[in-house]
Amino acid sequence: MGAHLGRRYVTETGTEPDPARKYEFDPQFGFPERNEREMVASQEQMNLAQLPLEQRDYCAQYLLKLMKCKRDNWPNFLACKHERHDWDYCEHQDYVMRMKEYERERRLQLRKKRVEAQAEAA
Amino acid sequence: LSPQPVNMAGVGFRRWAQALSKGKGSGISALLSGCRAASGASKDGLPGPYPTTPDEKAAAAKKYNMRVEDYEPYPNNGEGYGDYPKLPDRSQHERDPWYQWDHPDLRRNWGEPMHWNFDMFIRNRVDTSPSPVSWSTMCKQLFGFIGFMLFMFYVGEKIPAYQPVAPKQYPYNNLYLERGGDPEKQPEEVKNYEI
Repeated sequence: MGAHLGRRYVTETGTEPDPARKYEFDPQFGFPERNEREMVASQEQMNLAQLPLEQRDYCAQYLLKLMKCKRDNWPNFLACKHERHDWDYCEHQDYVMRMKEYERERRLQLRKKRVEAQAEAA
Repeated sequence: LSPQPVNMAGVGFRRWAQALSKGKGSGISALLSGCRAASGASKDGLPGPYPTTPDEKAAAAKKYNMRVEDYEPYPNNGEGYGDYPKLPDRSQHERDPWYQWDHPDLRRNWGEPMHWNFDMFIRNRVDTSPSPVSWSTMCKQLFGFIGFMLFMFYVGEKIPAYQPVAPKQYPYNNLYLERGGDPEKQPEEVKNYEI
């Protein structure tokens, strides 16, 4: 991560993961064990809060806490800093996970290319 | 001797009563005035048939208050213009705004020959004044810009720019039920892992 993305986009067209296509490698490949992501807020809770679809992700429990805090403390709009920070941090971690997934896919593609080149050379 | 101010309505009424008492006509024609206002066209001021001889042309030009050199009738092809003059298709926007016209709004003097489509060429309607740039330049610039933008959008579809992140992961089988999926059917299993 932190690569020169413009250069990579132009020179490594074969191995850069395409956002339009599905990622092709097995999620467990390369990991001894992997935990599933835990969803805390239930579907019923999200329905009652009438969350829009984009916000029904793995950070929804923090968002629900934030909404409750805001409703309880109105009109003090400066009150919910802690809850907002919690939600923001969760979203940040989610984004970092997305970056890591992309990078994993990219490195696996590069590895696949190397393996194929070795097989051909042999 | 300055004339004494008189009530013209009273003068008019008195004259009308005198004419009535003289008893020239009968019925309605006795009550009507025998003269018309000067604002309408006189009987020989209306358009006539297409002029063929030079004499007719000169008479027509004089009728329309034009010089014989300037007068040009419409072609005689059955469209019904008669001897009405063919004036250049220039709208009133192109006339001098600073000159003291008799009718400043219409930019026209009294007695001036009116274009056949004068009501179209008034300042609220069709404007024939020259554009700042020629028509071909305007066309080239507009369509060039639109074409360039369409081309760039096409290029953007083929070679998209994106952040180096995987797609966002959603719970409950990618929100199968929330997106309107059939509750009876079994959705496709979507497992999301931490990394």
